[in-house]
Amino acid sequence: MEQIIQVTILGIGLGGVFALMGSGLSLVFGVMRIVNLAHPSLIIAGAFTAYWGFRLWGIDPLVMLSVATLLLAAIGVLLYKIFFERNAKSATYSEMTVLLTFAIAMIVEGALGAMFSNTQRVTSPSYATDAFFLGDIFIPKGQLYAGMVSMLIIGLLAAFLKYSRLGYAIRATTQNRDAAALLGVNVNMVGLMSFAIGIGLAGAAGALTSFVFSFFPAKHWEWIAVLMSLVVMGGMGSIMGTVVASFALSIVAAFVGAYVGSTWSTMTFFLALFLVLLFRPQGLFGEKPELL
Amino acid sequence: MTEFLKVEGITAGYGDGPAILDGAHMTVQQGKVHCIIGPNGAGKSTLMKVIAGMLPVRKGEVIFKGENLKGLRPDQTLRRGIAFVPQERALFPKMTVRENLRMGGYILNNDRERDRRIDEIFDRFPILRERADQHAGTMSGGQQQTLAMARTLILRPEIVMFDEPSLGLAPMIVREMFAIVRMIAEQGVTVLLVEQNAVMGLKHADWGVVLDLGRTLFEGPAQEVLHDPRIQELYLGGRKVA
Repeated sequence: MEQIIQVTILGIGLGGVFALMGSGLSLVFGVMRIVNLAHPSLIIAGAFTAYWGFRLWGIDPLVMLSVATLLLAAIGVLLYKIFFERNAKSATYSEMTVLLTFAIAMIVEGALGAMFSNTQRVTSPSYATDAFFLGDIFIPKGQLYAGMVSMLIIGLLAAFLKYSRLGYAIRATTQNRDAAALLGVNVNMVGLMSFAIGIGLAGAAGALTSFVFSFFPAKHWEWIAVLMSLVVMGGMGSIMGTVVASFALSIVAAFVGAYVGSTWSTMTFFLALFLVLLFRPQGLFGEKPELL
Repeated sequence: MTEFLKVEGITAGYGDGPAILDGAHMTVQQGKVHCIIGPNGAGKSTLMKVIAGMLPVRKGEVIFKGENLKGLRPDQTLRRGIAFVPQERALFPKMTVRENLRMGGYILNNDRERDRRIDEIFDRFPILRERADQHAGTMSGGQQQTLAMARTLILRPEIVMFDEPSLGLAPMIVREMFAIVRMIAEQGVTVLLVEQNAVMGLKHADWGVVLDLGRTLFEGPAQEVLHDPRIQELYLGGRKVA
């Protein structure tokens, strides 16, 4: 029984971080129909931001999180202006963005490798290796903090989408781009803002992962498949779905890791991806595909 | 007859494609219901999209209260008082009825005023108040159409354009839709209507406009258009109409 609780706690901790990693990806797809394969590479850029802030000046990664968020949001604005804005009217936009973001991922990876070398890094504030004990159950502080901050950020994001004027515009554009434009929404500006927010979330997720996982520039290839499985399972574009899928799959993965073997735990995500695509391609919270 | 909105010699099409409208014209009188009829592909919806600023004008003019609307974007025509409900109703399925209405007032900068107007809408359409917190996508077709039409009123427009509000609705519900159209017109709002069912549309309209192959065949008081022999030919006979 204790082991079950222990494994569940570890799963929840990871789920929180994955939820934040995936929600930016989901937002960008929902509004812009951009399948952003560069998202995890930008998470790594955020992780490096937090890492160097801690290493050079001893700034806590939870503080560097704000720097990483703003820095990556600014990079998001640049990427959008350079690559995505001019092509937005193309009929093959989504397909094009797959290739485009694949290329961006390689450029980001190369740039990070050139600047910071390809060594494994991990930010090491004191809490990263510490834990709370409840009897025999331990709760790693690093994962706990990362998970809690993730949930806080996702909560803020949800409130922002639900209540703010820009949030209304983002949701409306996600659900019906033409209708939003007809009602006076500047859909291009909404696209730019949601791209910046999405990439900013990658920065925040990076700062948190920097002390939960060890990372190096090419690590994003491992994450993209995991994140895609979360986003597809949640229903492409549904942030709520991504969060639910993150927790569900992370907990299952933790159990697979504990009882089947740790090398198999990543398989959980791929297996889930297969099953979802076979039996419920629209995902948990996605729309049924139109027949037309 | 007040010169309210005037459409003259409009040529327009999609992208680089062929001209769908090829010299269409129509006159719009303030406070009246206008019904645009014509066979499939005549350019009825395209004409509305041109007026709304969703499609660029290649040739011709759209003059609204003395101002040429050429080159305006949809949000700009909206600010001038022209609202449009396209065929697919343009709702946000995963937003509640209230949120959809709020989006209708997106360009209003005063939230309190917007919410006050939403309250007025609820008074006029009690069914929408009942469903205020329900997702728009889960409502029936008639309720969705009611919401789409009511949503345009938040901005207190001068002209509303409805593209086939009866599409896919049961006959009884269609009658309700036309009652709403009447009610809107009685408030002094000018209505433009595209209707596949010509007889039904003209019966509820003051003015009829007949389009075919991108041109205006003729326009006139709805009753006269309804009984014009050319209509019979257009719908039943060949294309020998002059």
